[in-house]
Amino acid sequence: MNSHEYIQRVLASRNDLYAGFDKNFRFPQEAEGGCGVTGFCSSIPVRGKHIYQPSVQMHNRGNGKGGGIAAMGFIPETLGVGRDTLDNDYLIHIADLKGDGIAGLEEKFINPYLDVHYSENIPHMDDYRDIPELEVRPPDIYRYFVRVKPKVLSAFAVKKKLTHMADRDLEDECIYQNSVSINKTYYNPQGEMKAFVMSHGRDFFILKIVGYAERVVQYYKLENFKAHIWIAHQRYPTKGRVWHPGGAHPFIGLNEALVHNGDFANYYSVAEYLKQRNIFPLFHTDTEVSALLFDLYSRVYGYPLEYIIEALAPTIEMDFDSLPEEKQRIYQKIQETHIHASPDGPWFFIIARNDTRQRELQLLGITDTSMLRPQVFALQDGPVKIGLICSEKQAIDATLESLAEEDPRFGTVADVYWNARGGSHTDGGSFMFKLSGTVNADGQRELICADKFGKEISIPRHQEAYIPGRSYYVLDGGSTGSIDLGDTFRSGSAEGLFNLFTACLKDWHFPEVFEFLKEVKRQAEKSDAAFGLALEIFTMLIDRRYPTFDKKRRSLVQMYEYILNAMLLALPPISDRATQCRYRLIDFNSRMDIRAAGAGEEVLAVDASRFEPEGELSDSIILQSAYRLGWKRFIIFRCKGQRFYGCGFGPNTQGARMDIYGSSGDYIASGADGLEIYIHGNAQDQLGQIMKLGKLVIYGDVGQTFMYGAKGGDVYILGNAAGRPLVNAVGRPRVVINGTCLDYLAQSFMAGDPLNGGGFVVVNGLTIDHQGSVYPQATPYPGSNLYSLASGGAIYIRDPHHLLVEEQLNGGVFADLTEADWRLIEPYLQENEDLFNISIQKHLLTVDGRQKTYKEVYRKVTAHKLAALAKAAELDGLEEYE
Amino acid sequence: MYSSDKPFIPPQVRETPTRFRNAFGKYRVHRTDACNASGQCISACKLGVNKKAGSRVVSPNDYRCLGPECPMACFDTCPQKAIVIRKDPNFDTLGDYRWTPDLLLSTYYMAETGKIPDSGLEYRTGGTGGGFDKLRIVFPKTSKKIIPGEVDTSIRLNRLDDGRPEVEIPIPVYGGGMSFGSVSISAMLGRMRAAAAWGTFACTGEGGYPDEIKPYDDHVITQIATGLFGVREETIQRVRIVEFKYAQGAKPGLGGHLLGDKVTPAVARMREAVVGSSLFSPFPFHSVYSVEDHKKHIDWIKTTNRRALVSVKVSTPTDVDMVAVGSYYAGAHIVHLDGSYGGTGAAPDIAKKNIAMPIEYAVPIVHRFLVAEGIRDKVTLIASGGVRTPHDLIKIIALGADGVVTGTADMVAMECLRCHNCESGRGCARGIATTDTELVNLMEIEWAAQRIINLFTAWRTEIQRILAKMGLSSVRELVGRTEFLAHDDYQTAPLDADVE
Repeated sequence: MNSHEYIQRVLASRNDLYAGFDKNFRFPQEAEGGCGVTGFCSSIPVRGKHIYQPSVQMHNRGNGKGGGIAAMGFIPETLGVGRDTLDNDYLIHIADLKGDGIAGLEEKFINPYLDVHYSENIPHMDDYRDIPELEVRPPDIYRYFVRVKPKVLSAFAVKKKLTHMADRDLEDECIYQNSVSINKTYYNPQGEMKAFVMSHGRDFFILKIVGYAERVVQYYKLENFKAHIWIAHQRYPTKGRVWHPGGAHPFIGLNEALVHNGDFANYYSVAEYLKQRNIFPLFHTDTEVSALLFDLYSRVYGYPLEYIIEALAPTIEMDFDSLPEEKQRIYQKIQETHIHASPDGPWFFIIARNDTRQRELQLLGITDTSMLRPQVFALQDGPVKIGLICSEKQAIDATLESLAEEDPRFGTVADVYWNARGGSHTDGGSFMFKLSGTVNADGQRELICADKFGKEISIPRHQEAYIPGRSYYVLDGGSTGSIDLGDTFRSGSAEGLFNLFTACLKDWHFPEVFEFLKEVKRQAEKSDAAFGLALEIFTMLIDRRYPTFDKKRRSLVQMYEYILNAMLLALPPISDRATQCRYRLIDFNSRMDIRAAGAGEEVLAVDASRFEPEGELSDSIILQSAYRLGWKRFIIFRCKGQRFYGCGFGPNTQGARMDIYGSSGDYIASGADGLEIYIHGNAQDQLGQIMKLGKLVIYGDVGQTFMYGAKGGDVYILGNAAGRPLVNAVGRPRVVINGTCLDYLAQSFMAGDPLNGGGFVVVNGLTIDHQGSVYPQATPYPGSNLYSLASGGAIYIRDPHHLLVEEQLNGGVFADLTEADWRLIEPYLQENEDLFNISIQKHLLTVDGRQKTYKEVYRKVTAHKLAALAKAAELDGLEEYE
Repeated sequence: MYSSDKPFIPPQVRETPTRFRNAFGKYRVHRTDACNASGQCISACKLGVNKKAGSRVVSPNDYRCLGPECPMACFDTCPQKAIVIRKDPNFDTLGDYRWTPDLLLSTYYMAETGKIPDSGLEYRTGGTGGGFDKLRIVFPKTSKKIIPGEVDTSIRLNRLDDGRPEVEIPIPVYGGGMSFGSVSISAMLGRMRAAAAWGTFACTGEGGYPDEIKPYDDHVITQIATGLFGVREETIQRVRIVEFKYAQGAKPGLGGHLLGDKVTPAVARMREAVVGSSLFSPFPFHSVYSVEDHKKHIDWIKTTNRRALVSVKVSTPTDVDMVAVGSYYAGAHIVHLDGSYGGTGAAPDIAKKNIAMPIEYAVPIVHRFLVAEGIRDKVTLIASGGVRTPHDLIKIIALGADGVVTGTADMVAMECLRCHNCESGRGCARGIATTDTELVNLMEIEWAAQRIINLFTAWRTEIQRILAKMGLSSVRELVGRTEFLAHDDYQTAPLDADVE
């Protein structure tokens, strides 16, 4: 039988499934906004409480009117079944919305057809009102481990004309259709809503409630329940009253749970496409249709994952042209067949999937082609391995911190963080973490991370992670005296100590590194000057990239941050007016004690950890007050996604400086007008919007829509920018990006004539490896849209091999790089060298080991000058503004 | 600033006639050679149409003439029967169905005199045969005696009770966004001054915050639109209301565009862009693709200016109720719905009237949805997009809005002709929608401000009259009271004292 006929038969078998269902009824799509999504996949099973913290971190991405989690890959005993049952039975969750039992449902749909091997009403807290913020009683969940009765199955095959199907596929379809029947009967949007099937796959389940996602963990007592994969979703339905969690995520296909952040413009088109294939949504959210699509492609069409992803997020523009011919042929067919169902608009999916055919558990993240939703991937390798996908980086860090607290084999910092480039030929806009079906000797599963094309993301295995022992947690013991930095501190510079440390790093083991750092801390306590020096050293250690030899950089960073935080937490509190010290510490509890700086007090350290990310209880508000009271220097540490640093300071803030450590949040430096902000690590989304003046330095990557509508500012980024940097920027922003960006750099750039006071962006297209070596990326700019529709400003891009082509420009032109251009950008590159150790001579102007001239290395992209306009400008005598 | 303990004193009306040599009127007064300058016509006409000029009698103010039906009938009084009254041939060439010649002239009249035209001109509705023009105000029998002058026309803009200032405006109107660049600095300043005089607000539009309007900071709404042109932290911090413009009812989904011709050096400097290059604002905010992004966006503004109210201006898609409720949950104080009738000549014709929902459809949907949600009293719902007259204002408030935003009406008060050539070259024939250095001089700021002040004086008088007749002592009592409205298709009562 050919596959076409196979597909037709399966779809035809669902024909009478919807008998009595008003197929032409157009249900209004339930409106909801974007949401917070998070998920992780670990080589060892971990407790549910670890999905709790990241969910809390994403509170402000939901509104408490829908939350859900999915867990996959269990320890059989914890569910009261054996390994065999867990692997082979379907685990069904039925939600009883009214709480008055589902005996009738069992009688009608479970007992006659299914062999139930184990069932229970799953435990939950006695009274939901004991949980704060929970206003609606979560449903009672009935759990069943079932197989379809053999006789029923064969009768099903004959009746539905599916005798051609393999047994297991047939059973999958039977379970699927049975669940549709249950839902149709008990969850009728036009009639009564009593119950529905929350999940029905193998080795995974879904739980959802009306409330924040972490309350699921609490209510159903999953804090200590272990699974390999967890995903969570905070929903933001815009409808006011919600009485049951039917619309909450995750949604199911069969063996997959899907959560979604975004919003389709073509819900009806997708729903129509599904309708033509005998699939009818019941819950009317775009997430549900996405899950149904996924199931259709994977189970009915039998597509491999790569093709499913292509059908959802098609490869377009230059990326399509860059694919191998054979792939182009296949992709074109996929697009022709499925483009009507390709979700249009901003979306990002996280999917937990039990690929029962391959015996593999998977966690996937897929972004839309235009990358309109934020997304961060991370991978940590070591004694245990974990992959994470989130809408915001701080949720990843919160997960790792939570895990590390319980099990030191996890570190608090991931080895790599990255974004996917939607619909691209490079990574396909999707990454997946795959867990082997079998468990190895030490109870772990093999975890592999790969992109859409199967290209593996791996971390060099020769570098070792540090597993903190007891000493790590006991800082008070101080140093053992094996290292004494007293003299060095008295006479030395930070640079000298940094060099000393990095030189020793080769031979030292982690305990010696730790010993050294503790000694730095001990010295720091002696005087303000020593503290300043120590701060400088730690900052250099965190910011810079250097060889770490056999040690993982992430483990070192974990140590630096750990000790740096301890050092800062020991500073005299703001309420202390007596102690002679340059520094004062303020935290959430002491925030009301904010006061003007006393004599000799210069630096305000803000422990961000317990502040709200936004609003009147956020630390950005405290910083504003402090600035008005005369403080000029700020250190903000232990950030957990707090937003708006440097916002609201007002005009002319030259002379103020902010240093930010930890997982900083969105919108930092938006509106900045003079001050300097240094972010010691990766930065998130929407930074530097409408920025006017000042300096922003990011020692890592930066997120979406960076410097949107900016008017100016000097900005240096060590790593990559995500999508849409400098859209609609005007005036004179001057930006150096040492990495590259996903796409749409400087769209509608209008920053005048750079040689005459206008703005520009330098893109170096470099990357740094695990030993701190700098080398060029495969292409300096992978996207299809560079400087689109721009009318001013310029891009200077390091492209010695001329990899960039006209097709990427959409309106810009390559122009000759003159000496004036080089004179303009050289000071910025010099500053870049000072900040990041990326040398003009050694790195930027050296190509394949050979020294080149700037003309051979850099290319300039500038606006297509319309002669008429140039003339008009001349006549009007436009003077450039400085 | 208006507050209830300090009674608001309305600004003074000052006669502000046309700034052009000949005003537009409905009629022209001609004299035959038989005229012997007896002067009888001068004393007959109380509108001052006729005047002595040396040894002759002329009619410099014949734009005020009420025509052949006039009871004062100078033409009958004339002993020589030398006066001939004819319709001004220009009259029928003016305006369009939406802004009929009658509406334009009556708005000119209100802007000149601060009074409602007493006869002759249809000042209440236009001629579209739909929308507001098909709605009638119905006055039920009421025993309540209310003195029009005592009717309260003020509305509250902050109902969130979130510790931010209570802001009240004495008239249920504020000025919509028109950017520097799309209109001249004089037009902008005129609107700002009028807003200040009336204790209300006017919006900058998306095009920067010229220094000239700084004195009116307390009455300026600064707009943050998708191009972020001219938006700086400083400008956000200056004002009491910040408006997010997501879309404009006249051209939703199209963003903004200022064509190259209008990007003069002054405009380019204000927006820090390139002279002569068209300026496009993208249709979405690149940083906002969902309601939680939207909340973050609002949080940002609230952090930057901790006393400002936030208004969210959206167009009227079919799910406008969801948009409104989402804005409320994201923390907006004002939800501003912009329907499809508005827009200057710069909005593409294909978009105008063809994309968004008419405002009189959208407002009741949103109003009822918010009532059902139990949050109606937390939201200030403002409507715009085709509110031309005080009657339109009454109708949209009865449909569920709290107040309105005007745009075109202000322009008409400044003698806009509705010629629809706002976007072409630099030349607005009336010197309003222009940045051309010479054309700008066609209009004095003082004059523009007074015209708008006068217009709203007339509006307020009319609103008070209508409300008093309805038996309402405050405009706030009218919100959502559709029983005061009838639709032409379903009511047959003739227009009279009970139905207008």
